[in-house]
Amino acid sequence: MHESLFSFLGENLQMFLSYTGFANITFGHFVMIILGLIAIYLAIAKEFEPMLLIPIGFGILIGNIPFMDAGLQIGIYEEGSVLNILYQGVAQGWYPPIIFLGIGAMTDFSALISNPKLMLIGAAAQFGIFGAYMIALQMGFEPNQAGAIGIIGGADGPTAIFLASKLAPNLMGAIAISAYSYMALVPIIQPPFMRLLTTKKERLIRMKSPRAVSQTEKIVFPIVGLLLTCFLVPSGLPLLGMLFFGNLLKESGVTRRLAETARGPLIDTITILLGVTVGASTQATQFLTASSIKIFALGALSFVIATCAGILFVKFFNIFLKEGNKINPLIGNSGVSAVPDSARISHTVGLEYDPTNYLLMHAMGPNVAGVIGSAVAAGILLGFLM
Amino acid sequence: MKKKLGALVALVLLFSVGVSAQRTTTLKLNEVLVVNNDNYQDGYGSKSPWIEIFNNSAGSVDLKGCFLTTDKNNPTMYMIPKGDVQTKVRPYQHMLFWADAKPGRGTFHTNFTFDPTKANYLALYDSDGKTLIDEVTIPASQTADVSYGLVEDGVSNWVVLSNITPSTNNRTLDSNEKIENFKRNDPTGFGMTLTAMMVVFLGLFILFAVFKLVGNIAVSITKRNAQKQAKATGTEVSNTGEEAGEVFAAIGMALHEFTNNMHDDESTILTIRKVQRNYSPWSSKIQSLRETPKRK
Repeated sequence: MHESLFSFLGENLQMFLSYTGFANITFGHFVMIILGLIAIYLAIAKEFEPMLLIPIGFGILIGNIPFMDAGLQIGIYEEGSVLNILYQGVAQGWYPPIIFLGIGAMTDFSALISNPKLMLIGAAAQFGIFGAYMIALQMGFEPNQAGAIGIIGGADGPTAIFLASKLAPNLMGAIAISAYSYMALVPIIQPPFMRLLTTKKERLIRMKSPRAVSQTEKIVFPIVGLLLTCFLVPSGLPLLGMLFFGNLLKESGVTRRLAETARGPLIDTITILLGVTVGASTQATQFLTASSIKIFALGALSFVIATCAGILFVKFFNIFLKEGNKINPLIGNSGVSAVPDSARISHTVGLEYDPTNYLLMHAMGPNVAGVIGSAVAAGILLGFLM
Repeated sequence: MKKKLGALVALVLLFSVGVSAQRTTTLKLNEVLVVNNDNYQDGYGSKSPWIEIFNNSAGSVDLKGCFLTTDKNNPTMYMIPKGDVQTKVRPYQHMLFWADAKPGRGTFHTNFTFDPTKANYLALYDSDGKTLIDEVTIPASQTADVSYGLVEDGVSNWVVLSNITPSTNNRTLDSNEKIENFKRNDPTGFGMTLTAMMVVFLGLFILFAVFKLVGNIAVSITKRNAQKQAKATGTEVSNTGEEAGEVFAAIGMALHEFTNNMHDDESTILTIRKVQRNYSPWSSKIQSLRETPKRK
């Protein structure tokens, strides 16, 4: 009687132990948990994009708790599990357009409207996407995968997730983590190339103050912007449509409550869900591959290319501009759509050389143009490769 | 009132246009097998002629109430029964009907069959029995167990198909043609880069041109209005539209001073600090809704 009870309890205990994380941990899980902790550390101690890195870092921890695959519906890749249901917003690509709605509702396009030539910088910086696309092809990725990887260079997390979910769902975890990590590291990646590619004289260029923009112009912008960009690239509709819609909510002046919801509770909710599920999607078995390492390398490269392309384009553009109308090439880096981080970097680097030269308002122009540009680029890649 | 009515009518029209995109008009007759000797068989084990319909849209379409016919003068020959959930065709999917003249066998068995000795007319009509959705004339002398269908689902021409594909794609796609095309013709990615950058530049250039124009118009309107106002009030016209740089410099300086030259090196994060005070309404039992129950 006692013997059978003990053996029963022993078996139960053994079974329980086999279900614990300790019994199922692999080296990969360990590495991923360390990565998650690093992300959380960077977010809290260094304040690198805490809004993104905290949910992602914690998501990495959630996704890498080892468990026995016994059909308990706990893993993010198990159909019907809670995490899997939350992950559908990423997998089906409907979180990013909602984030774009919020971005539209919080973005002031005045700097761009007052000096529309800055839009072209936002276009030039998209070379980061296609430069990385070409390199990815040479590294052996398929064109659809290369497109999804290249979009990291747009420095736009939601766009990267949206495109990866459509073109290369199996690489989405690595692409999303790479995009958000480098967005957080923009203050480290961009300044050396900004200094390298500009002369001291160029860094001191003072730009003309932007003119005041009327309310009518602000209202016209999202409507015309949507019609022009989406007629040209209809595949960019989910992102651009929501971006401009959000902006109209903000600028119309009669939908304040909707705009506040879009740029407040709604975007916050989706950011939480997106961050944590993207993090959790990096299960060691799916994430720790040679492709992921290549994607990380290509992601860094794409940011560098985008930064350089923006700066060099401004220098080229300046050849055709009259004295007094010239653009400070330090705002070229803002063509990537990491809003407002890259614009802030233009401003900070500019202040190092002239403490009275405020570039922030000028840099916001190409910065928001970069958002439009990367969404257009994503639409092109989607149209060509899907 | 008239304006409101007009807006309502426009909205209804727009809505109906949008809705019609998901309606039966997107259905296509896709493939037909007239002589079935040794081919696909139905659930009863019978080998009968069959008709495949394809939903060429991104939304589900319900076939209930639509009509299939082989007679131009009798468009309502066979009504697809209502009340069967299986008549809904999913996006870009197919539905098969057995042309065996045995409607008693269920929804998907028509009351007509084909005559293999002559050309057969086949049409699909909408539920009103008048609106033609699609039609085809299948040439006479069809070979047994060889189907007649569209080269590609929902589009292109009718031909004798080399593969018989009931309820599946007429042309099996085992690779993504677009991607294969890029791999073959643009292995370096230069073509894609050139095209895409041109499109991105074009898109933003058009925006630039439009807003340059809009900006110029806005500035001139503002100036004109200011001049009018100045004339009316007899004051001097200020430099409208162009805000003084000093204003922005002052704002920028203030922001800079605020963020960089503050006494404490703070992270600008708001926190709630515990107040060193014994009493606070927040922790007061008197003020709270959950007082400790007292026996009276």
